Amino acid sequence: MWYSKGMKIRGIQFSPVLGNVDQNLAFHRTRITEAVDAGIDLVIFPELSISGYYLKDLVYDIALRPDSPVIRQFEEWSQKIDIVIGAPFEEKPGIIYNCAFYFSKGQRLHTHRKVQLPNYGMFEEQMIFRPGNEFRSFQVGDFTVGLIICREILFPAYAYLYYLQDVDFLIGISNSPARAMGKEGFASFRLWERMGEVFSVHFNQNYVFVNRTGFEDGMGFGGGSYLALPGLGIVQKARYLEDDTLDGQISLEDVRRARVASNYYRDERPEVVLKELMRILHA
Amino acid sequence: MLEIDNQVVEKVLLRFIRDSVHKNGFKNAILGVSGGLDSAVVLTLTQRALGSEFTFALLMPYKLSAASSLTHGRLMCERLGLDDEVIDISPCIDAYFDRYPSGERVLIGNKCARERMAVLYDFSVRKKALVVGTSNKSELLVGYSTIFGDSAAAFLPLGDLYKSQVFDLARYLGIPQEIIDKKPSADLWPEQTDEGEIGISYQELDEILYRLVDRRERPDELEKNGYKRETIDRIIGLVVNSQYKRTMPPVAKMQNRAPGIDFRYPRDWNK
Repeated sequence: MWYSKGMKIRGIQFSPVLGNVDQNLAFHRTRITEAVDAGIDLVIFPELSISGYYLKDLVYDIALRPDSPVIRQFEEWSQKIDIVIGAPFEEKPGIIYNCAFYFSKGQRLHTHRKVQLPNYGMFEEQMIFRPGNEFRSFQVGDFTVGLIICREILFPAYAYLYYLQDVDFLIGISNSPARAMGKEGFASFRLWERMGEVFSVHFNQNYVFVNRTGFEDGMGFGGGSYLALPGLGIVQKARYLEDDTLDGQISLEDVRRARVASNYYRDERPEVVLKELMRILHA
Repeated sequence: MLEIDNQVVEKVLLRFIRDSVHKNGFKNAILGVSGGLDSAVVLTLTQRALGSEFTFALLMPYKLSAASSLTHGRLMCERLGLDDEVIDISPCIDAYFDRYPSGERVLIGNKCARERMAVLYDFSVRKKALVVGTSNKSELLVGYSTIFGDSAAAFLPLGDLYKSQVFDLARYLGIPQEIIDKKPSADLWPEQTDEGEIGISYQELDEILYRLVDRRERPDELEKNGYKRETIDRIIGLVVNSQYKRTMPPVAKMQNRAPGIDFRYPRDWNK
C-alpha cells in the first residue's frame, strides 16, 4: 500500500461562506490542488466545510444529495489524493445528516453521520439534522481509521468504540465557537486539547483535530487545529482564531511503540465494560 | 471574576470587524465618536482592523454636550491619524423642539441619539461605510440605550464585554488616560453620568450581571455573596423590561413561515 509506512496529512483551517456551496467548492478545489502538488496523502477540511455551520433553514436549500455533482467532484479529485470534508447530507428525501465524508481512490469510501448533535444555548443542530447511530471504522491502506465530529469528541465513550475497533488514526473535524473568556483566554480551547491528550496517550492513536475559523452571526470559531501522536500528546498546533494550514505525518510505528510501552490496548477489558454497562442500564 | 485576556480579545475583535465589513461588501466603516470610552475603544479597534484610510469618525456634538466630549473625540482622531468630521446637530434638534417644546430632558437626549443615528446612516451611504456600534454588554443587558438611536448599528464589537472589561481593554489598547479617568456618561444633558442614571457603580452592576447571566446564579446565591436583594431585584427588572430592545419586533403569525418566527435564516446568509 502506498501509505503503509506513513501518511502525510494536511488540515485546512478556514472560514466557509455560509450557505454558498459553489464558492466553498472552489476553495476546496484550490486547497486540494495545492495539497496534491505538495505530495500530501490526505487533506482534511473542518465540519460542514462545504456549507458553513449556522445553517438554520438554509440546510433545506443546500444539503447535498447522494447524486450531487459536488460529491461526484470530490470522488474525482480523490483519484489523486484522499479527502475528508464535512457536509449536510440529505441521504433520503427530507432526512438530513451532519456528515463527515472520506473520499479515496475515486469513491466515497466512508460516511460518518454525526450522532451527538448539540442543542442548547447557541446550538440548534437537532432542529435541522437527524442523528446518526453508529461509529464504524474503515481501512485506508494499513491504517484503521475513524471519523468523529465536533461534540462527539467530548464524549470519550465514542472514541473508545473506535479504540476497540483497532482504530490507529482518528480524524476529528469540528466547528467549535470560541467561548468562556477569562484571563487565560478562551476556556473552550482546552476542551479540545484535553481530549487529544486522552486519545493519543491513553488510546495510543494518531489523532488529528481540524477546527474552522471566522464568524457567523457573531459566533467566532476558534481554529487551533492540532496533531497528537500516539503516546506523545499534541505535537503540532495551528494558530488559534486565524486561517492556517496544519501539516503533519503519521505512522503505524508510533502506534506500535505507544502500545508496547503502555500495554493499555492489550490490557483493555471491554467485556467487563459491557457486563457492567448491562448491569447499570438494567438495574 | 471579570478578567479577560486582552491580547486574545483584541485579536478576536480585529477579525470580527474586518470580517463583518468585508463580508457585507464594504471596505469602509464609520462610527460616531462621542469622546467617551466605548467609542474610543471601538475607533481604535476599527482603525487597527481596517487601517486609517478605511475608517471614518463622525463627531456630532449638541450645544449642551460637554466641551471635553469634542476635545476627546478630536484627540482620538488625531492619535489614529483620522479626519475628524464635526457635524453640529444643534440646529436640527432645536428646530424640532422649537416646534414641539418639551422640558423633559430625556426626550431631548433621545432625540439627539436618534439624530446622530440618522446622520451616521446618511454618511454610511455617502462614504460607502458600514456603521459600527459601540454598545457594551452592561448597557445592552440593562437597556441603557435609546432604541433606534445609539443602539442602531450593523454590528457591535463590544456587545459581549462588560463595561469594566472595556475599561481593562482600553488600558491595554493605550487609550489616553483622561478618557479612561472621566466618569462614563451618555452626555445627553450636563452633569449626566451613567452610574448616576443606573443608580449603581459599573463594578457592582457588572459583577451582578456576570453572576446572573454568565454564571446563571440564582438571586438567593447572590444575596448570600453579599449583594443587596433590593439591588439584585432592580437589576433583574431592568434586564427583563428591556428585552424588547434586544430582539426584533414580533410579527403576528398567519401563515406557514413567518419572518422572525419560522422563516429561519442566519443574518450572515450567503456571507
